[in-house]
Amino acid sequence: MAAETTLLEVGVMFAAIGAVGFLAARFDLSPIPFYIVAGIALNESVLGAVDLPAVSASEFVVVGAELGIVFLLFFLGLEFNLDRLLADKERIGRAGVIDLVVNFGVGLALGVYLFGEPLPALLLAGVVYISSSAIITKSLLDLGWIANPESSPMLGVLVFEDLVIAVYLAVVVALVSGGGDAWSAARAIGVAFAFIALLLVLVAAGTTLFERLLDTPSSEYFILRAVGVTVLLAGAALAVGVSEAVAAFFVGMAFSATEYVHDLETALSSLRDVFAAVFFFWIGLVTDPFVVVEAAGVVAVMVVVTAPAKLLSGFFGGRIYALDDRRSLRVGLAMVTRGEFSLIIAAVALSGAGGTLAPETARTIYAAAVGYVLVMSALGTTLMGASGWFERFVTTGS
Amino acid sequence: MRVYESEVPGVGRKFELELTGGKSAVVVVHHDGRCELFRRDGPDADGEKILDLKGEQANRLGSILEGAYFESVDVDSLSVPLGDAIIEWIEVVDDSPVAGTTLGESRIRTETGTSIIAIQRGEETISNPPPETGLEPGDLLVAVGTREEQAELDALVEPT
Repeated sequence: MAAETTLLEVGVMFAAIGAVGFLAARFDLSPIPFYIVAGIALNESVLGAVDLPAVSASEFVVVGAELGIVFLLFFLGLEFNLDRLLADKERIGRAGVIDLVVNFGVGLALGVYLFGEPLPALLLAGVVYISSSAIITKSLLDLGWIANPESSPMLGVLVFEDLVIAVYLAVVVALVSGGGDAWSAARAIGVAFAFIALLLVLVAAGTTLFERLLDTPSSEYFILRAVGVTVLLAGAALAVGVSEAVAAFFVGMAFSATEYVHDLETALSSLRDVFAAVFFFWIGLVTDPFVVVEAAGVVAVMVVVTAPAKLLSGFFGGRIYALDDRRSLRVGLAMVTRGEFSLIIAAVALSGAGGTLAPETARTIYAAAVGYVLVMSALGTTLMGASGWFERFVTTGS
Repeated sequence: MRVYESEVPGVGRKFELELTGGKSAVVVVHHDGRCELFRRDGPDADGEKILDLKGEQANRLGSILEGAYFESVDVDSLSVPLGDAIIEWIEVVDDSPVAGTTLGESRIRTETGTSIIAIQRGEETISNPPPETGLEPGDLLVAVGTREEQAELDALVEPT
């Protein structure tokens, strides 16, 4: 494809992202589902169907989406606070394990029921297990719940989920990109954990190295070095069949031990925002809306089963923090929100199409996950906003 | 008075300050310097957002609260040490014996040993006032002297 067409398409993409972001701000909603819908609206199967020039999933968009995943997870690692987790390990551990057992369990059962195979079930379990850190944190701020006790179990469980998802992604990416039989799966997981072990050593020993690397008064050199290290390691991980997201997470963790955390957040957050939006747009761009409609039944079952599951596990998480019923209910309502990580898992499923996953199965998981996130990101935010209505049922005469 | 501090991943830090009567103030400081201030009226109450400040506004408010921006002072107990001598402020009230006299006539210097180095009258300051300066009700006399001398000045200026 000639560069000028590509540039025009990329321009159309960014303009669309900017336009729907404006809409999201008007209605005070999370922009994530808007970016996805923009991608769907401009893709081959929608615009192409009415003979308009569609935005193609060009190499730039694909790599941009990849960078979006890398920066999202890099920030997760950067802001991952191990000390906090350890300081409150008793409560976070209990609330986090309930959250994991209930929702991952429900997801596995649902996956086995729908697909009858272990790998699709494992992917579906991940999609429905992980709540959205980004959307929930934003809602906490918007509603002012951040000042209330219910914010502690929410943020605590989210930190726990972040750690679980790092390990989960490592395993699942290895399984999906592996050969399919038990031996090659075991080998892929072995490579993944060896790589993670290597990264952990890097985290532990590399702090001084990273400090030295980032020690420059020039903001230009600073951002370029940080991006250079992060993208290089993520790319290296992907090249040996390990999840680039997990690698980025650990690189972020390594940087979080340095004194430059704050500078990194300031310097890289706009880069993250740009590429994360490209990632969500790309998710929509490779989504065939007709397949989503076909998967509507699957999405409906997922929503009906997993929304109450999160509500329940969140409620008990709140109880572990000794909150009253009203506040515990709020924890449950908030945790219903799913978002960016479910989409990353959806992208993993898509990458296995025709390999370890039957193309049909991979497409169904992907389309169902996209539909599911569109519903759950809106549903969770709505439930949080309407919590007053639900709280009437549990008000304990306070 | 306890302060609880916690990390809000991706946002910044949260501080909770216990106030009297079970109330508390919650401050969320964002990475970009933005500050949100909430109040909670009790353990069961929900946080209510009072202020949403940009970084610079938050710093300004903070310095006012800190007392760095404007230090409120108790004029009656203000003193500046100068070796043995101290500087004190004393107000000439309506029925003070020295009100309506001049500095010379009031015999402040000869009776008490303090020197009046300035008189604050409304917006204006008369520094090194000559003996013929009149003393009016509402004047604030700035006096230098030892503690004993200042005590005598108080006795002379205060209405009996």
